Amino acid sequence: MLKIKNLHAKVGDNEILKGLNLEVGPGEVHAIMGPNGSGKSTLASVLAGRESYEVTEGEVELDGVNLLDLDATERAREGVFLAFQYPIEIPGVSNLNFMKAAINGKRTHLGLEPIKPKDFLTKVKECSSLVELDGRLRDRSVNEGFSGGEKKRNEIFQMAMLDPKLAILDETDSGLDIDALRVVSKGVNKMRSKDRSFIVITHYQRLLEHIVPDFVHVLSEGKIVKSGGKELALELEEKGYDWLK
Amino acid sequence: MSKFTNNFLAPSHGVELRNEALTLLSSLPVPTRRNERWKYSSVSKLINASLETYKGGEVGIEGWPKEINPNPVPQLEAYRIVFRNGVYEPTLSELPTFKGVVCMPLSSISEEQSKTLFSNKYHKTEWVGALNAAYYQDGFYLHVSKNIKLDRPIIVHHLTDGENVANFPRHFVRIDEGGEAEVVVWTTASQDSSGMCNSLFEASIAPNAQLFLEKITNEEGEIYSFAHDFIIQEADSRFKAHNFTIKGSWVRNELSIVSAGKGTDTIFNGAYLPCGNEHVDNHTTMDHTYPDGTSSELYRGIMYGKSTGVFNGKVFVRPDAQRTNAFQQNTNIVADRGASINAKPELEIYADDVKCAHGCTVGQFDLEALFYLKSRGLDENAARTLLVEAFIADVLSSVPNEALRNEIKRLYSERHHWS
Repeated sequence: MLKIKNLHAKVGDNEILKGLNLEVGPGEVHAIMGPNGSGKSTLASVLAGRESYEVTEGEVELDGVNLLDLDATERAREGVFLAFQYPIEIPGVSNLNFMKAAINGKRTHLGLEPIKPKDFLTKVKECSSLVELDGRLRDRSVNEGFSGGEKKRNEIFQMAMLDPKLAILDETDSGLDIDALRVVSKGVNKMRSKDRSFIVITHYQRLLEHIVPDFVHVLSEGKIVKSGGKELALELEEKGYDWLK
Repeated sequence: MSKFTNNFLAPSHGVELRNEALTLLSSLPVPTRRNERWKYSSVSKLINASLETYKGGEVGIEGWPKEINPNPVPQLEAYRIVFRNGVYEPTLSELPTFKGVVCMPLSSISEEQSKTLFSNKYHKTEWVGALNAAYYQDGFYLHVSKNIKLDRPIIVHHLTDGENVANFPRHFVRIDEGGEAEVVVWTTASQDSSGMCNSLFEASIAPNAQLFLEKITNEEGEIYSFAHDFIIQEADSRFKAHNFTIKGSWVRNELSIVSAGKGTDTIFNGAYLPCGNEHVDNHTTMDHTYPDGTSSELYRGIMYGKSTGVFNGKVFVRPDAQRTNAFQQNTNIVADRGASINAKPELEIYADDVKCAHGCTVGQFDLEALFYLKSRGLDENAARTLLVEAFIADVLSSVPNEALRNEIKRLYSERHHWS
């Protein structure tokens, strides 16, 4: 499904990813852990197509499509979704109008009619109940005045609305209290399916108790230095990252 | 400078004011960039042009350009007074016949009464003001009596039509104690027209009375469009103004509000989204001279192409104006590399027990917000449109009248290709 080969990326003159390799199969959940500055969020940004990062070498393929040839819009339409570490507040843009524009953008791209208002509302109801996002938050401007936990729930709500093939969760757990973490994780777990893959980027092992990964990778200085099963996360929790260097 | 006014004819009404203004005109300096008030808005091209006041011709719908509807907001149930090149068009107008309301062209006012109307000093301080007072052809007169609420808004539509036309609308509104009215001033120009539209609007709002004023500029052609609005608010009166520049090659809006009684309430908002080589200038003054007044000002602009903009917002809180609550915000986005805006808030506060807040920013589109929207599958244009609409929504949403609000949004949307 997703194949990353020898990926190099930099910001300005600063090379951050230095030959990263990763394969994610359909339905798999891969956790990526690593110390601060190891390149975790860079990987998320590069996959989603943030323009401030320059890919200097390597390949990224999603179901045979070369993602690096596409801009952020096209990648989203191909089924890539990034749940932001710090979701942006956009005053004046209603959450629902935003979602409708996003869904219809994708549908137009696929040669489909715009979604029917009734179907849209049904979907909104389903997806918002998934993360217990109440109507008050749903109908407001995008993330405006939301608490940290509400913002993260809104990310998962958007993910459910857009039904991606590949979901990248960038430190979705940071800043969340346990209750919010449970809600968010429950939403993610309900979305796990054989056709959808996840890359879960996290600094803390805690999240992986709730979203149990199939594989755990350790990122250090722009490369994956160790891969294993979910037990690796526990080992990291115990020993830290230093022993891997 | 007399050469500039060579072909200007003054009608025979309002003689006293005209004579005074004509005398002042020769002594007042033509605005140049050396004058702070005109530093970023040059009129040098205008004053070298050879303009004429309208000499007459076909009137009514026959003389009216096809591409412009004399009734600019058909969805709005409103009265209407229409001027073409400064001249009143009775057959295109629909004046109110409403108990306690007098509405007519200014030229119909008696000489005696006309002396008592205007109190602004614009013709004494500015060359542009003296031009208007000396050469105004006609305008709109509205008087709303005590405790009368006019049932519908009045649209004042002035059109500049033709090449090298100079026109000088001059309007006066008086709302007596407890009265209420809504006035929409709609300024248009036909394709290929050129010249100057130099208008003045004065309103006097009595104690506890209310005036809503919406001003829309949507001009084709190459017009130097000057608008000077002077508002006096007496105690406990309410004034709410909105100013939208849809289109116009050179637009200068001056709004000057005096709080001349206790407890006045003032809201004035504006939006401008110039493109190409357009120039938009908003100069506002809020003068709190009495205690317990509140004022709130929000102007938002997006500068496209090679457009240039000016925002100058003065707020005075005089020594007696204790417990004033004044708010001013001006936010600008420079969307393209060649565009620019000069923004300058000026607050002068001489009272000590007041609340005054102001903010002024000039920035670019929020790239993080753009990426966020695109990462959900919106294309660049859709993402920008969403951000632009959101940006001016705060200004637009405070327009009290829905039909009008929708029409303004439609015009922006048409011009900027919003979906």
